[in-house]
Amino acid sequence: MSAAPALLLADLTIAFQGRSVLQGAEAGLAGGAMAALTGPSGSGKTSLIHALAGIERPAGGRIAWGPVAPWALGEAARDAWRRTTLGLVFQEFHLIEGLSALENALLPWRFDHARLPAGAAAAAAALLGRLGVPAGAQAVGRLSRGERQRVAIARALARAPAVLLADEPTASLDAESGAAVADLLLAEAAARGMTLLVATHDASLLAHLPGRWHLESGRLEVRA
Amino acid sequence: MNPWPVARAALLRRPAAALAMLLLVALATALGVGVLALERGLRQGAARAADPFDLVIGAPGSPTTLVLAAVYLQAEAVPLLPGSLLARLAAEPGVAWLSPIGFGDRWGRHPVVGVAPALLTQGGRLPLAEGSAFASHEQAVVGARVPLALGARFVPQHGQIGLPGAADAHAHAETLVVGRMAPSGTPWDHAILVPIEAVWELHGLGTGHAGDAERLGPPWDAAPGVPAIVIKPRSFADAYALRARYRTAESMAVFPAEVLVALFRTMGDLRRVLSLMAGGCAALVIAAVFLAFAGRMAERGREFATLRALGAPRRFVLAAVWLELAVLLGAGVALGLALGWAGAWVLGTTLGAAARVPVATAPGWAEAGLGLAVLGAGLLAALLPALAAWRRPVGPGLR
Repeated sequence: MSAAPALLLADLTIAFQGRSVLQGAEAGLAGGAMAALTGPSGSGKTSLIHALAGIERPAGGRIAWGPVAPWALGEAARDAWRRTTLGLVFQEFHLIEGLSALENALLPWRFDHARLPAGAAAAAAALLGRLGVPAGAQAVGRLSRGERQRVAIARALARAPAVLLADEPTASLDAESGAAVADLLLAEAAARGMTLLVATHDASLLAHLPGRWHLESGRLEVRA
Repeated sequence: MNPWPVARAALLRRPAAALAMLLLVALATALGVGVLALERGLRQGAARAADPFDLVIGAPGSPTTLVLAAVYLQAEAVPLLPGSLLARLAAEPGVAWLSPIGFGDRWGRHPVVGVAPALLTQGGRLPLAEGSAFASHEQAVVGARVPLALGARFVPQHGQIGLPGAADAHAHAETLVVGRMAPSGTPWDHAILVPIEAVWELHGLGTGHAGDAERLGPPWDAAPGVPAIVIKPRSFADAYALRARYRTAESMAVFPAEVLVALFRTMGDLRRVLSLMAGGCAALVIAAVFLAFAGRMAERGREFATLRALGAPRRFVLAAVWLELAVLLGAGVALGLALGWAGAWVLGTTLGAAARVPVATAPGWAEAGLGLAVLGAGLLAALLPALAAWRRPVGPGLR
């Protein structure tokens, strides 16, 4: 794994559906730091995550992950950067139905490998085991919601990215499985020294995230 | 990249829908393949049946009726030729052998046809499979597929089987089976062949021979009228010369092949119409498959956006969608080829049995080409939904 890059925002402006959700934001996150992104719903947390992930282009300003400014790259290079550097976890899991847990976790390898690299399948299976997902060939549709989110975490970590972005990873889970998922997510990120930014209002996550970014009314407020 | 797991998951997610699409493609392909294979099989079967008959002479009338009667033994009311023609033709130097054909009686489903000995072996070219040629009026040689053994005796019946009273219309002598012809792949395999003299005599027309009443075969110096005469010319030149010489006011000479060509031209037009219909049907079905597929695509915006968000290049999404359709189309076309060929075989065998012409429907390149054309067009068309997936923006798809 490459050293976790620092995140730097300069004069970042983001609009969503013609409405400005962020104006002239300046912020930074050290490499390997872990922070929560909070704010009322509709404040634009997802838009910011998408801009940081190179999914939706900001209206202006600059985003840099270490030496890489994703929005200065061409699309193909940005895709490649995303799959090698970034792990993404969504509120609604977004697993590929019809694939097994292991196949879902191996999916990021498929994007640029005709055959899996040696050890990839074993590593993914070990990771799933550590996350407590039942092994087996059955499609993920049979898994519980908590188990599905753990598969999504395994998928995000499959290629050992240096950065993990999560958008409300526990918001659609019940308290118990949400807490378990939060613990696993934090433990993996910490063990790997990843730079972690989690959009959340879940107290069990917030309690363990030292950094705090608060987004409200188009303003991003950073607390150490 | 390896988009197969994504394509396979999409197929397995809704197996019934995938199977329905596959079957639609298969049936559309099978229809076109079946039409092509069956038409070719019928044409080849009919042409093969006419092979042994180089030149047929009959009374002026419809050449098609004459060929149907002489080659396919579909004995309709064929006008008679004057018997004197037999003697004249037998004297022609260009004639290798000839045989009159006389219809009338039946035994069960099998027509009893009066011929000259030369026809039994096609002038020696095709030896009998069993036994020997008939040597008297009470002997017969059966076609390869007539269920009468050598040494069996039978009583021919006049006219159509099943007509009450018809069986005893005139007194028949028992006839002894003395030989069996080699299979020829023509309706003649189902016929029972007796001396033409026996047919004449039975109908009270004499024996065709002024002197020796027991004589079989040419020359006939007192022949009554006959419906048709089959001629084997010595050469091509003889064939054309004979055809020209016997196209007169009292006779008509035709090459069966020539008549078949005209028939097949009509059949070819029919095939074109059928092919167009089959093609239109295939196009409609495949359009329906694509509509159904496009409907499924619309539901998968989130999946494609997720793949892209995780770092899949655009071409991965394109390839996954294209691969899914390619598998459906490929399997459908392959199944359609098999179904079409099998269907043509079943239909060809049934039709052939009814017409007593062996219809061999073997797989041919024409159908394989049709299958490939469907597949190629489908694969090209599959690029459309694939490109639609390729173009989809990522961010909105995730929300």
